[in-house]
Amino acid sequence: MKGLRRWLVALALAVAACAGAAMGAELVLGDPSTLVPSASPALLGPITETGRTGWNCPPERAATARTASAAGLPGN
Amino acid sequence: MRLRALIATLLLTSATGAAASAQTYSSPTTAPRTTDPAALAGLARRRELHERFDRGLAAEERGDWASAQVELRRAVALDPPEPQGSTARYDLALAEANLGHDDLAADLLRAALHLDPSFAAAAANLVAIELRRGELAAARAAADQFVAIAPQAAMAHYARGLVALHAGDLPTARADFGALLAADPAYAVAHYDLALVELRAGRDDVAQTELEHALVLAPGYARARFALGTLLLRDGHRADARVAFDRCARDAADPVLRALAVDLRDKL
Repeated sequence: MKGLRRWLVALALAVAACAGAAMGAELVLGDPSTLVPSASPALLGPITETGRTGWNCPPERAATARTASAAGLPGN
Repeated sequence: MRLRALIATLLLTSATGAAASAQTYSSPTTAPRTTDPAALAGLARRRELHERFDRGLAAEERGDWASAQVELRRAVALDPPEPQGSTARYDLALAEANLGHDDLAADLLRAALHLDPSFAAAAANLVAIELRRGELAAARAAADQFVAIAPQAAMAHYARGLVALHAGDLPTARADFGALLAADPAYAVAHYDLALVELRAGRDDVAQTELEHALVLAPGYARARFALGTLLLRDGHRADARVAFDRCARDAADPVLRALAVDLRDKL
């Protein structure tokens, strides 16, 4: 009886997985809010004990940079 | 006999010269400046702080977050003055975040910003951590602070645009991605995010223009190609949509996105 139940659960999961991609596609077409925004920025790195005393602090420079590449923002 | 006397004289002369040249003390050791117990304790604290920072950052650089946590917790406990106080909390937050303690990391970054309200990197990391935790209200508060600290910064506008997009605040998201593109029009990702804003606002034509901009700048941008495909399909352009999904299926590195693109392509 236990074996049969496990088999049925496995079958249901397999069917759900196969249907997942197709349902996802339908969902994306019906609702544009399901399109995923870009990734959030990566965490900026450590700062030394004296790092913020002078001008050469890479995390602060990245955080205040005016362009995406200087800020290290996510690519495609 | 004379030869021996000559050699002995020479040896004595050279020994005297060597001894004379060894008598220079150009850099004497600095004498202690205090014997006051409180001042000596202060010097010891500064020395320990220096060592804790050095060891903590060395551990972070090699990815040993547990050791970094121990060293930097001690650095924070020493309660150093600014800017070391906020910097110690920022560095400890990195260790906590990498150990999966996002709640502790967020508290530490808020404390760092309390100590130094102009600490842009702390604000940037706080937004990223709150977004990761799914705490949109807290992420928005941090993003507003980040923009106030660095109103010209690309990362500040990107971060707040993303938070606003996740929260459904389309006017703010549109304004932030627009500001980012005004300063850096070649950033394809911002065109993509702005397209999502316009799609959610029901402005499909503007969204399509933004997606086309993104794809001119980055032709292999699979997520933008997929979004363009869905937009074309919704507007009834099945052949063009099929081409977009086919290209997306070839370009996508993400297996889920590739599976979705293949499924839609094969249905057309």
